[in-house]
Amino acid sequence: MVHCKSRMTICLLIAVAVTLMLGVAPATTLAQEKVIKIGTIFPLTGPVALAGQRCKAAVETAVEILNNKHPNIKVPLADKKGWLAGYKFVLVHTDSQGKPDVGKAEAERLINQEGVWALIGAYNSSVSMPASMVAERAKKIFMCGASSSAALTQRPDMKYFFRTASTDEVESHEFVEVLKWLNKTQKNANVKTLGLIYENSVFGKHAAEEAKKAAAAGGFTVVADVPFTPGATNLDSEVQTVKSKNPDALFGAVLGADYALMVKTMKKMNWIPKVSLNYCSGYQDPVIAKQLGPDADFFMGSTGYSPEFAGMMPAVAEVEKIFKTKTNNVPYDSDSIQETIAMLVLAQAIEKAKSLDPEVVAKTLYANTWPSPLSLSGKVAFAPGGQNKLALSIVTQLQGGKYKRIFPTEKADTKPIFPMKAWDKR
Amino acid sequence: MDTLLQVLLDGILNGMLYALVAVGLCLIWGVMDVINFAHGEYVMIAMYVTYWLGFLANVDPLISMFAGGLFIFILGALTYRLIIKYTIGKPPLSALLATFGLAMLLKNLCLNQFTPNFRILSDTWLGDKTFQLGALIVPLPQLVTAIVALVVVGLTYYMVRSTRFGWAVQATAMDKEAAELMGINTERIYLLVFGIGGATVGLAGGIMPTYLAVHPEVGTMFSLIAFICVAMGGFGSIPGALVAAILIGVVEALGGYYIAPVFKYVAVFGLYLAVVFLRPKGIFGW
Repeated sequence: MVHCKSRMTICLLIAVAVTLMLGVAPATTLAQEKVIKIGTIFPLTGPVALAGQRCKAAVETAVEILNNKHPNIKVPLADKKGWLAGYKFVLVHTDSQGKPDVGKAEAERLINQEGVWALIGAYNSSVSMPASMVAERAKKIFMCGASSSAALTQRPDMKYFFRTASTDEVESHEFVEVLKWLNKTQKNANVKTLGLIYENSVFGKHAAEEAKKAAAAGGFTVVADVPFTPGATNLDSEVQTVKSKNPDALFGAVLGADYALMVKTMKKMNWIPKVSLNYCSGYQDPVIAKQLGPDADFFMGSTGYSPEFAGMMPAVAEVEKIFKTKTNNVPYDSDSIQETIAMLVLAQAIEKAKSLDPEVVAKTLYANTWPSPLSLSGKVAFAPGGQNKLALSIVTQLQGGKYKRIFPTEKADTKPIFPMKAWDKR
Repeated sequence: MDTLLQVLLDGILNGMLYALVAVGLCLIWGVMDVINFAHGEYVMIAMYVTYWLGFLANVDPLISMFAGGLFIFILGALTYRLIIKYTIGKPPLSALLATFGLAMLLKNLCLNQFTPNFRILSDTWLGDKTFQLGALIVPLPQLVTAIVALVVVGLTYYMVRSTRFGWAVQATAMDKEAAELMGINTERIYLLVFGIGGATVGLAGGIMPTYLAVHPEVGTMFSLIAFICVAMGGFGSIPGALVAAILIGVVEALGGYYIAPVFKYVAVFGLYLAVVFLRPKGIFGW
């Protein structure tokens, strides 16, 4: 009996020791580490996985800068001094697959099970919309880098949602200004009619709505309105429909491989408009110029960053070195850099607020203008609704595989090639 | 009229590609009653085989598509040997879930190895070549794909209908136990059917990089359409799959152009539902 009792005591002691090792000890370590958990939601698989993976790498880049000392990097907090120096950012990544329901479920999981302090994402506007609603209900900050639907920041009740990138509303007006400018400066430009081709998603539909409003305000007639299913096996009837209306200008909201398919189908059908302008992604993806080669040339689009802008934004170079280690040497594009900016701005707000109360940090985000050397304007400031009112983009044209700045003229480094060269004359 | 003819031509050419993708699925589904969820991933992997052979060794897809076919033949046979074999005689859901798992594995393996980047093979023999036939623009890569599809579908049909191996395949499909009593090695039949089914889809994937970008998600929509072709044509009916594929291509093109581009898949799935509702065994089903 005594023997049995002593064995039980030993077992009990072992159990207590194991409990202490597994439970109490890590808790102590965690408390010392002072971790800020950030949940990311990006399309890591699915039709736009390419963009999603880069956005993930962009947030990781920002966190690597924030968690370590980088005196050679000229962005705020890279010196790792101040209140935040005692903290470490930890990322919890999730894959939305580009699907709103999956993104929403992941947002709920990140908040309720992973216990993240804030969310960042979600690239697809259609995912950012429901995921940010989940964050808002839980009073968690949602930093949005690249989703472009203007509707996201037209929700007056949202207090915790912040977007650093430009919107399709701003881009639509910019595109119409480009058309007016071409009509003014180019011989016999005579651009009057407009075609729209866009993916049938929140991003595409909203871009098309904004394009229609801007076109009406600018005196242009929309003659073709063509939504398509993302990831389609072909875009024959879509391009055929646009071709049959033969608009002078084409606005496209087309992402990833769909963009390549659209260009290839236009070539197959031997049709090209006088000018083609594209909303974010697709066109501005650096892979496009490489993979499509000369076929990518003469298309235009708005861009917040491309490697050709490096001279205007000297701080990017050192940050981009880290980014490239995570992307097989692919540089930033206009979307991915916004995710780094979003993360850096959030960190600055925490530093300034010296608090991890989301309400205090959200108010601090609104109340200040944030230095942002990775942004074209060099600053970020949020308007009610969470839109970065200082977001800028430049209209570029692919010429010889390079993104050449053409509009606004004060930022231009070359003249546009107008009209686009026909396929058989390249 | 010219536009109608152009739309019809595009529809038929796309339909022929769908037929080429669907014929292997039709064979596997018809004989083994196994829904291979990894069919789209077979397409994708064959595309990568051709792409890398073109990119690294400058082999044109018109030649390397045979390597794609061989690769997927081996992959198909391995799929049977390592996965499907253990699901035969089990509830039908087990094979379905097993191939779904395989699909996830293959897709994520490619995502991990090749990144989500899409890749385009440039300077192929067929390239972006087109020629005029009256007012019609005929794309050469799609035309050659259609010819390959006709040859592959024809050969597969001939093999099943007119060779001793084909008769053994039919016997196995009809009654496995009776076929075994007649001395047919059904295990070998299953293995070869999975391999040949894979080889046909390997040829399809092999030729596709002449005009389509390669990326880990490229097979998803093709596999969905292939399932519809097989179900609509009649399970196990190769001519049925061909007719259904062409019908789908034409309906997709006509619906997309004359109703609305966003409507094209609605038209396809609507047609599928109508056929299944009126004739649940498919057009050529029995």
